[in-house]
Amino acid sequence: MGAGFFVGVIGVLILLHAAYSTIQYRTLLKITDEQFSGAPINVVIELIAGLVLCTWAALTVPGKFLSILPHSDENRVVSLPDNLDFMIFNHRGKAFPLDMDVKLK
Amino acid sequence: MVSKTEEEEVNRLESQVDNGGGGAWEYLSLVRKLKLRRSDKVLKHGCSILNDSKKRSALGSEEWTLYEQVAIAAMDCQRLDLAKDCIKVLQKKFPGSKRVGRLEAMLLEAKELWAEAEKAYSSLLEENQFDQVIHKRRVAMAKAQGNISGAIEWLNKYLEIFMADHDAWRELGEIYISLQMYKQASYCYEELILAQPTIPLYHLTYADVLYTLGGLENLHAAKKYYAATIDLTGGKNMRALFGICLCVSGIGQLTKGRNKEDKESPELQTLSALVLEKGYKQQSPTKLPLLTSALKSLKLS
Repeated sequence: MGAGFFVGVIGVLILLHAAYSTIQYRTLLKITDEQFSGAPINVVIELIAGLVLCTWAALTVPGKFLSILPHSDENRVVSLPDNLDFMIFNHRGKAFPLDMDVKLK
Repeated sequence: MVSKTEEEEVNRLESQVDNGGGGAWEYLSLVRKLKLRRSDKVLKHGCSILNDSKKRSALGSEEWTLYEQVAIAAMDCQRLDLAKDCIKVLQKKFPGSKRVGRLEAMLLEAKELWAEAEKAYSSLLEENQFDQVIHKRRVAMAKAQGNISGAIEWLNKYLEIFMADHDAWRELGEIYISLQMYKQASYCYEELILAQPTIPLYHLTYADVLYTLGGLENLHAAKKYYAATIDLTGGKNMRALFGICLCVSGIGQLTKGRNKEDKESPELQTLSALVLEKGYKQQSPTKLPLLTSALKSLKLS
């Protein structure tokens, strides 16, 4: 976890720095009275780097991925649940009462 | 859905509990979670927990869930006296609760007092029109009285409102199959496959229905759905493998002498026959001769 988490922190810091630089750039534009057409190229590069680092960290930090294999041996569906909402009580088991002397005390 | 690991877990816990090892509560929770109908075991082990005041109080608020579970299991085992006791306890704890009211109505059902049960359910429905379980109980009641067409009518009405309820679709499909109305049943299974395409058992049943309907087109479709089942179970489903063999030989019979160009390649059948043989060799070698003779008769026809 250590390395991945560290990379994630760096990524977030880079993204924060990119946001900060953009704000700075916009105030600079306001002073020089120019139109804002897009972020400067170094901010864009920063953004991409931050995105890559954050994505990588988000994929590695939480742990290993488990594959979804519907036909893997442990995972395959062997039976459906009994439809208990539709259960009826006058079934053939009625003819053979249980000889169980359980009682609630 | 019960997966392979869950099934093994249940069986392990069951034998452990039956042989006096602990884990009764875990077993009961698992049975409840997987919605299994093992009423006799639930009754036996549930009562042993409920009669032990120390164990019972350790459950905390889950105690009442257990009472409900045991009450239903008792009704299923025709121990109405026990069910009544459980419901009484619940009534004392939750006076005026609808969930307890439902249990009372179910007790009436178990006593076969249909008119009273119907009255209880309709008064419960008046309070909450959209209680799905009560609607379903009405269907079950019609079925219990042998009024299958009434049950179908109720179910269709129910499904008009709650279209996404796949348990109800499954029930309707099973009822139609029991009446040999395969066309209608196939519609229900189409709905189920559409709703949950990853469950192989729906594909399997749909294929069974199509195969039963017969006809060249249906056989081709059935073969495809059997193949889908094999795909989803990794070839572990014997019924689907048998289905492929039957479909291929059925198609062969229907197209015999027609000498079409689009003749099926026999590869699918030989492959599934091979897998079947392998499976039988591993699991029950004594029945292998039976299998080989059955397969031989299929290939000859």
